[in-house]
Amino acid sequence: MTSQGGATTSGQAIAVEVNGTERAATVDVRTTLADFLREHLGLTGTHLGCEHGVCGACTVLVDGEPVRSCLMLAVQADGSSVVTVEGLAEGNAMHPVQEAFWESFAFQCGFCTPGFVMSAVALLRENPDADEATVREALSGNLCRCSGYQTIVEGVLAAGRKVREEGAVL
Amino acid sequence: MKTPRFEYHAPRTLDEVLNLLGDLGEEAKVLAGGQSLVPLLAMRLARPEHVIDVNRVPELARIDERDGALVLGAMVRHRQVERSPVVAARSPLLAGAVPFIGHVAIRSRGTIGGSLAHADASAELPAVARALDAELLVRSTRGDRVVAAESFFLGHFTTALEDDECLVEVRVPAWPTGAGWGIYEMVRRHGDFAVAGAVAMMALGDGGTIADARVSLFGVADVPVRAQAAESALLGQAPTSDVLDAAAAVAADPLRPASDLHGSSAYRRHVARVAVRRALADAAERAKEAA
Amino acid sequence: MTDLIGARNVGARVKRAEDPRILTGRGRYIDDVVLPGMLHGAFLRSTVAHGRLRSIDVSAARELPGVVAVFTGEDMAALSTPAQAGQTIGMTQVPGMKLPAVYGLATDKVRFVGDPIALVVAESRYVAEDALDLIDIDVEMLEPIVTYADALDPAKPPLFDELADNVAYRGEMALGDVDGAFARAARVVTASISVHRHQPVPMEGRGSIGSWDAAEGKMTFYTSTQSPHMVRQLLAPQIGVPMEQIRVLSGDVGGGFGLKNTVFREDVAVAVAAKALERPVKWVEDRMEHLAAGGQAREEMADIEAAVTADGVLLGLRMDNKLNAGAYPSDPFPGAMFVNSLATAFQGPTRIEGLAATSTSVFSNKGTYVSYRGPWATGDFLRERMLDVVARELDLDPLEVRRRNYVVRGEPPLAMLTGQPFAGVTTRECLEQAAAIVDWDGFRRRQAEARRDGRYLGIGVASYLEAAPGPRVPGQLRGGGILGDETTHVWLERDGKVVVVTQQHPHGQGHQTTLAQVVADELGVAFEDVEVRYGDTDVTPYALVATGGSRAATMANGAVLHASRELRQRVLSLAAELFEASAADLEISDGTVAVKGSPATSMPLGELVRVVEEEPGRLPAGTDTELKVTRVFDGGEGGWSGGTHVCEVEVDVETGLVHVDRYVVVEDCGVPVNPAIVEGQIRGGVTQAIGAVLLERSAYGDDGQFLASTFMDYLLPTTTEVPNFEIHHVDTVPLDPDVNFRGVGEGGMIVAPAAITNAIEDALATLGVRVREQHLPPARLLELIGTVPAE
Repeated sequence: MTSQGGATTSGQAIAVEVNGTERAATVDVRTTLADFLREHLGLTGTHLGCEHGVCGACTVLVDGEPVRSCLMLAVQADGSSVVTVEGLAEGNAMHPVQEAFWESFAFQCGFCTPGFVMSAVALLRENPDADEATVREALSGNLCRCSGYQTIVEGVLAAGRKVREEGAVL
Repeated sequence: MKTPRFEYHAPRTLDEVLNLLGDLGEEAKVLAGGQSLVPLLAMRLARPEHVIDVNRVPELARIDERDGALVLGAMVRHRQVERSPVVAARSPLLAGAVPFIGHVAIRSRGTIGGSLAHADASAELPAVARALDAELLVRSTRGDRVVAAESFFLGHFTTALEDDECLVEVRVPAWPTGAGWGIYEMVRRHGDFAVAGAVAMMALGDGGTIADARVSLFGVADVPVRAQAAESALLGQAPTSDVLDAAAAVAADPLRPASDLHGSSAYRRHVARVAVRRALADAAERAKEAA
Repeated sequence: MTDLIGARNVGARVKRAEDPRILTGRGRYIDDVVLPGMLHGAFLRSTVAHGRLRSIDVSAARELPGVVAVFTGEDMAALSTPAQAGQTIGMTQVPGMKLPAVYGLATDKVRFVGDPIALVVAESRYVAEDALDLIDIDVEMLEPIVTYADALDPAKPPLFDELADNVAYRGEMALGDVDGAFARAARVVTASISVHRHQPVPMEGRGSIGSWDAAEGKMTFYTSTQSPHMVRQLLAPQIGVPMEQIRVLSGDVGGGFGLKNTVFREDVAVAVAAKALERPVKWVEDRMEHLAAGGQAREEMADIEAAVTADGVLLGLRMDNKLNAGAYPSDPFPGAMFVNSLATAFQGPTRIEGLAATSTSVFSNKGTYVSYRGPWATGDFLRERMLDVVARELDLDPLEVRRRNYVVRGEPPLAMLTGQPFAGVTTRECLEQAAAIVDWDGFRRRQAEARRDGRYLGIGVASYLEAAPGPRVPGQLRGGGILGDETTHVWLERDGKVVVVTQQHPHGQGHQTTLAQVVADELGVAFEDVEVRYGDTDVTPYALVATGGSRAATMANGAVLHASRELRQRVLSLAAELFEASAADLEISDGTVAVKGSPATSMPLGELVRVVEEEPGRLPAGTDTELKVTRVFDGGEGGWSGGTHVCEVEVDVETGLVHVDRYVVVEDCGVPVNPAIVEGQIRGGVTQAIGAVLLERSAYGDDGQFLASTFMDYLLPTTTEVPNFEIHHVDTVPLDPDVNFRGVGEGGMIVAPAAITNAIEDALATLGVRVREQHLPPARLLELIGTVPAE
């Protein structure tokens, strides 16, 4: 647990709920949340594309809000709930956003995809009626080098329709 | 791009924060939202021996109204401001400017106090603070002081904060009834730091002439710039296109911005003028609608 | 769209086989690979552009707890053999080509900001970076070589002491009747046109893991590449391990765009370190390393004299071309070689009669030039920009000038100056269809109306041809060379699945989907029952270049098509024996072979495999029971890819910001195996072009400092800068009886820069703006307009 005012240089114990499971670990205090997820927990779906908060590939949900996991220390997530791209599907059933991305040919190499999926989930949970301009604004902090973005935007709009018309749950 | 070693402190109260700052002083960096500090750490451009994480101090994260002023705790996050009906009602310019900061995931973590204390002169909030004559409550174990926004920003990434001081809250004076607002920033891409930008507020008096005007600029100097000469030139005038044009020229002509990758000094001065005129035009439009 | 049972897969928008694993976070990119006992590397990189390494002290770094080793250039010289880049493809034989041999780390000099000087290997990347801070180097600063003028100034120091100067390549060429073209010309139009340095920037940077098995003498090398066998082949002589003892493994690759058809100096250093330490060593570059040292491209320029008729027909040209190749030659494609493509790619679909070029490439203290999505793209840019220059000069409409210059299929000339036939070229059809879609004449009216409101709209058009793979050239053998034949293995498994082993190495192109579509149709099995394997050099067919040059559409699809047909024949003849029927009376559908009209006499394909393997006695003695097919495909009759792009923009003349209002593509890639994938390639390519024109520049200061080392300085397009695209396909002219799929990888990126810059000039022409460069950021546009003084 985070010490109350006491200093720590390394080896701090933290407990984080990740994808619904409580995970306890001891981490060097300088470890980013992204490195903690990838290297300590083996959740390599969260990708590092720039490590300075521009590309959005490392986007995860922390207490429901989309954040850059490269710009947060693991110790800062102590006591929080984190959802990564691995935490969306229910068994073999993909999450509606994942389904919609698949149906829309949303991506090519897929490296940026987890960040887009998480940003889209955050947007649609707050605003499933988001129109194209809103979607584009909400995704403007995620870089993709392959797709030209159009099919990603279409995927998010399609996921919104799944919520509105088919009662899909995000 | 991995952060260098540091000692990590996660105080739970403001008193603990102040004690740590008092003890550690210049060896410590305060970690607020982390959206500027953590990249600097990853690039090893910042190498503090101590990091004081103020994210677990609940008393810094409140939005209040006090004596007609809007009071924002330093750790109020940008998204919190965006979603706040109180801010929308009490300070429409602030509410309107925050969505221009970075992107959603940046605003999830980024804080009002962090943006001001980081003092990036191309960022939106320092300019908003200047335009609105915000007051900054600064505290240390030595006591409190209130610093006017005018005196807070000293240079690039440099503020009036002493090493042992913590920015505690920002007080935004009451919004003039019926005032309109505008923001325009020239950015290469949506969400980028501004190449040049301006915020404006305008209130119209009897007969539709300008009774109050505020203009400040960002991205044009090493501090946010309040364009007082332009404000004076606007007072008493009708907000016609020519009047706004002339005021924009008054605001921009004295500027000598630095050249950089995104534009020469002359270019930035030119778009600063465009930004002022567009921000003023929006402010005038909104003021007319309110009238 | 998803339910294709009974339908043909080829031509359908079949959902990608790759996507479920990627969408659920189970892709396996290089940084996701973890090996037991693995160490982590970090490179110390030069912070100065040009200097002599006087000394390097790594003692403090070696002593840091967690550090296992530090390698310097001196260590590299002891542990490896320097490579002469380009040797594999014969570049060392090209007259005028200078190819200094280099090690994985700098030995004597540093030659660009980002040049690797030392490799720290530690228990974690964090510790490795800590150790970098402890290395002391002493560098004697040398005068930086930044511009063409610097590089061609004999008074300035050469980057490589063993070379007399900084000329990396110099050559001349002449095609067709140049003098005749100029003699017949009504006028000569001149222009000096340049392209700025920019770079591929895949979202996953470079990265490798070396793992040395000392007992077996075998190196297993995991890497993010477009061409696994290339890595094996080029590493071998440098690390002193036979190619046959190197196994390269590569999983999901987060983009390449030509960059990852390179074996990097860092790869060599990582392999050397792993071998020396006998422990796996991982290096995954970070974004700042990537931008500075990952590879840059395109810095090229041409001084052009064009011989033109009074009607605006380009008859011929004389070009003086230059390319800034940066610090080191890339292996196997040294940047200097691409300067020739400015001339050879210029003709495209035009009817020019002669072309003469002098070509000069120079070394400079900038990042190494790598191939980037159509490394000949500047040739296309020059042509399509020049057509607009001519149009403006003669006061003709750019569309009309193109009608006059582009070839008409079946009319002379029937071949390019290089001898490649204009067979099946549909440029004119694409041009007319595009003009109709955008209502070109209607745009002119809208443009005039907008101008009255002070709004500046512009339209630009450009076309291209891409040899992907190009038609067969009479008298020339196909195959061989850099982009040789394509080999594939296809076989049946007992569970009824069809396994395809491809030499392709997809990094976003969806080959696991497209190849499976072709196989499913040819064999009569379900798409889901085809498994496409790649990425392990122990099992994949050799290819120097696996995925690159838009080759997969024709070459890989063609190879699996023919292999599947052969496998089908084998299945039919074995089933004919078992059913005691004629093969001609059998059919395969839904993974079952049966007698036509008699479904009771049938056998699932998996059962056929079992019978062949377990009960061969059911077949006559001596029956050929092979159900594993290997086929080599040479491209068949091939054909051109091509098309026309039209871009509409609006320029805010107060800020210089350009908004892309509309983007229309009419293209011919033959039969699109999966239209959704084809369209994705086009959109992605055009988006990179939007970046190149409006946002992206690998900027250097006069001192050779790199100014674009973060994503806040090197600006990629985002959702808010890119429009929706309108993509149309024209009817293609098939050249091959079986394989009419053509590549689309480069198309968008090679033609779009011209369409966009042409549109911007069109918007601003009345203000006197004449565009002679590809990069048009807002500040530059206001300089061209005259609003602010030029820097």
